[in-house]
Amino acid sequence: MEIRIKGLTRNYYSEGKQIKALDNVDLTIPANKIFTLLGPSGCGKTTLLRCIVGLETPDAGEIYIGDDLVWSSEKNIFVPPENRGLGMVFQTYAIWPHMNVFDNVAYPLQTSKTPKDIIRQQVAKALNFVQLDGFESRPATKLSGGQQQRVALARALVAEPKVILFDEPLSNLDAKLREETRKELRSFLTELKITAIYVTHDRIEALALSDLIAVMRAGKIIEIGDPKKIYFNSDHKFVADFIGRANLIKGKVEKLEGEHAIFASEIGSILALNSQRIPVGQDAMLCVRPEFIRLTSEHKDQGQNIFRGLMETLIFIGEAYEGEIRIGDTLLTTTIEPTENIVEGDDISIAFDPDHCFLLSA
Amino acid sequence: MFKKPTLTTTLIIIVGFLTLCPVIMLLLGSFSQDFVSFGQFTTVKYVEAYTDPDFADILWNTVIFTGGSALVATLLALFLAYVNTRTDLPFKFIFKVIAIVPMMIPHILFSVSWVLLLNPSNGTLNRLFMDLFGLTDALFDIYTLPGMILVEGLLDLPIAYLIIAPAMSAFDVSLEESSKVCGASNLRTLMRVTLPVLRPAILASAILVIVRSLASFAVPSVIGMPGRIYVLSTHIYRNIATGFAADFGKAAAIGMSALAASITLIYVYRYLTSESGKFVTISSRGFKPTLIKLKNAKYPMFLIVGFLSFILILLPVLVLFYTSMLPYSMVPSAKAFSMMSWDNWIEVLKDPISLLSLKNSLFLGVVGATIGTTLSIFVSYVIVKVRSTASGILESLSFLSFSFPGIVIGVGFMWFFVRTPIYGTLTALLIGYIATYLPYGIRPISSAFVQIHSHLEESSRVCGAGPFYTMRRIVIPLLIPGIVSGWILMASMFLRELTLSVVLSRPGTEVLAVQILHFAEDGLWGPLSALGIIMIFISSALVILAAVLGSKLTKMEVVK
Repeated sequence: MEIRIKGLTRNYYSEGKQIKALDNVDLTIPANKIFTLLGPSGCGKTTLLRCIVGLETPDAGEIYIGDDLVWSSEKNIFVPPENRGLGMVFQTYAIWPHMNVFDNVAYPLQTSKTPKDIIRQQVAKALNFVQLDGFESRPATKLSGGQQQRVALARALVAEPKVILFDEPLSNLDAKLREETRKELRSFLTELKITAIYVTHDRIEALALSDLIAVMRAGKIIEIGDPKKIYFNSDHKFVADFIGRANLIKGKVEKLEGEHAIFASEIGSILALNSQRIPVGQDAMLCVRPEFIRLTSEHKDQGQNIFRGLMETLIFIGEAYEGEIRIGDTLLTTTIEPTENIVEGDDISIAFDPDHCFLLSA
Repeated sequence: MFKKPTLTTTLIIIVGFLTLCPVIMLLLGSFSQDFVSFGQFTTVKYVEAYTDPDFADILWNTVIFTGGSALVATLLALFLAYVNTRTDLPFKFIFKVIAIVPMMIPHILFSVSWVLLLNPSNGTLNRLFMDLFGLTDALFDIYTLPGMILVEGLLDLPIAYLIIAPAMSAFDVSLEESSKVCGASNLRTLMRVTLPVLRPAILASAILVIVRSLASFAVPSVIGMPGRIYVLSTHIYRNIATGFAADFGKAAAIGMSALAASITLIYVYRYLTSESGKFVTISSRGFKPTLIKLKNAKYPMFLIVGFLSFILILLPVLVLFYTSMLPYSMVPSAKAFSMMSWDNWIEVLKDPISLLSLKNSLFLGVVGATIGTTLSIFVSYVIVKVRSTASGILESLSFLSFSFPGIVIGVGFMWFFVRTPIYGTLTALLIGYIATYLPYGIRPISSAFVQIHSHLEESSRVCGAGPFYTMRRIVIPLLIPGIVSGWILMASMFLRELTLSVVLSRPGTEVLAVQILHFAEDGLWGPLSALGIIMIFISSALVILAAVLGSKLTKMEVVK
């Protein structure tokens, strides 16, 4: 089901100051996609989620779930959360400690007065889906973190909602379990054909799970795109910087070459992606990610995008080297294969792939 | 979500009526001549009350009585808390018993048991000493100010302990350790570091005991009045209980000063308890204090603590039971034991007024606690979960009555009830009880509410449950432990209620504590003791029943 949001605004007041948690947000979340709201803490992503669910009331704007208007400040419409027909997984899972697994999962069906035998079937189906068969009579307090997370998912799915929402559901798991659960969640959600809205501040989670990512800052949505677009070719400096480690190099657009442009930078001229079509003569910023700075044996004048630099620091972290390369006044962060045979102080040649470095408006 | 404001408003009206009505009526009443001429302004009652030549004495007695009780209770509590948290004393479970069990013995019975032990004419202990040492006069006279202070101090010891012990155990031991590293001895560290840091807790405990002893009626009536020692509460009682000459205007005028003093002290108390949070540093490193080794002092120290718990818990019950079996008071001897019988018990169980008071108190305990707890659930919900200006008002309102002396509030309610048809009914007592003891229900329930993460409720709403369904299936079941302890606290308070009841109880609405007071005034110690044991038995049974029921209810949800 599609979700449309128009002009949504929500202000907080704290110590006499007004904080804009949501600043006139317009957004359409397409049906049957995994849609992630990503941003640093305090950017308004959780507030937006809670407004969609109905746990928080915005100050202005409209929210449509499918064709139903569930919130409108103008028309004075507020559909309470229980009548919005959504499923949600909370950050704390919110598993009710006084009930067993069966009652926790059956709850959404019990509220709608579903016949008992159907409830039993549905709960068994939901538990089977999250691979917790036979856990029905387990008390909620006797579950591990990962199991609680699955019970919460089963509960959110059992009434077969058209939309399911996740509020940082993995942040309470330890690192290893988080990785496993992320994979599972991805396969669950792709299997389901359901609209999922996922809130997180973890960029890897966002990249790994989403069909579409919306990056937020200070109550506004800055950019929406699929993970590859956001990572390889984002339109905004903030987004490029937030989604992964990035080297940002200042310069000027010199010449357009189709999709690409020649960019005159502090370290020399670079051929880079220019999907924003920044015109010639304009100041811009080149973004290149550490893993796309490649060591090469070629010589500077042997081709395009090849530079000489000094290996200033080199730290072995197991799976790779993390290094800093100095070219004039510019220091570039890079990741180098652990098998490379170099030491600090070496003179080296590096190459940038024109398709993996891109221009941002400064 | 949109219904919360109306719920808050309704609660503010209910709680506001319960707490402010008696205060306003007391104020208006104090400016009236009598019930009939209510509303015609006069200051004659203030003049009468405060130019009474006895008044200075009464005030002085009150100061000594409340201050002395605070000193006794706080010093004992400090000693017990220190020994518990800082020494290697054996059998530490005894401290839990000292802190909780005495609350189950009604104050009036505790006072009576000390009269039975130490009254100058036939107190059991006095007679025992006279026989032992061949004295002609009684060694102790309980009917004195020191006697009153001793008994009130012991009664308030648990509350003082409950304030001081947590502060003592939250104390950052490294403060003490650094003092010792600087070369100070144990004693010097105690005097220069430990006690000064604990000062807010100590002061808070002393002030709370002063407030409680100011409101105390059991000790002043059972021990003070026979010795002609009057304090404010008994002075008020004297003005309304002397048959035809009952003067509610003067009682209200005196009550105003007790009320003002009490509210002021509670504000100081709340200020101190909020301050003490800044003062006592809780170490996050989870250091266990090194226990001071008592060595040879271990067993003498244990004897002292054991003796204290004996006189706090066992002695009153023993004395009452012993007295209930005898036709008149006598020193334990072969003769006394041969004369024991159930006559007093049979007499009490045949006495229509005692039976009526039993029935009334049971009704008030069960019904009152149930209504009071229900109200407390809603009030706590608004206080903890709504958090608006209005809920802040509700919070202040609902804790205001904590500072009200029962007898004063009784006088205030009397001015209200005489103008309504419920005057002299159990309903009047019910309203008065709930108004006075509401904080006792709200406190455990609101702290249970604090434990419930808002996500637990919100997820229920998202699952399709409305606010009331959520309340029934999620909030209430999770609250049950808090609700049960609130209910127990209220029921046992109501079952033993004395100070409010002596004002509001009329023929036909006698309650247990008032009936016991009447027995005491007539010197009928045998029937009194029998009824008293029944009272202790019922309140213990209620506590156990409620606890069992509570654990059953919580389990049911899990097993189902």
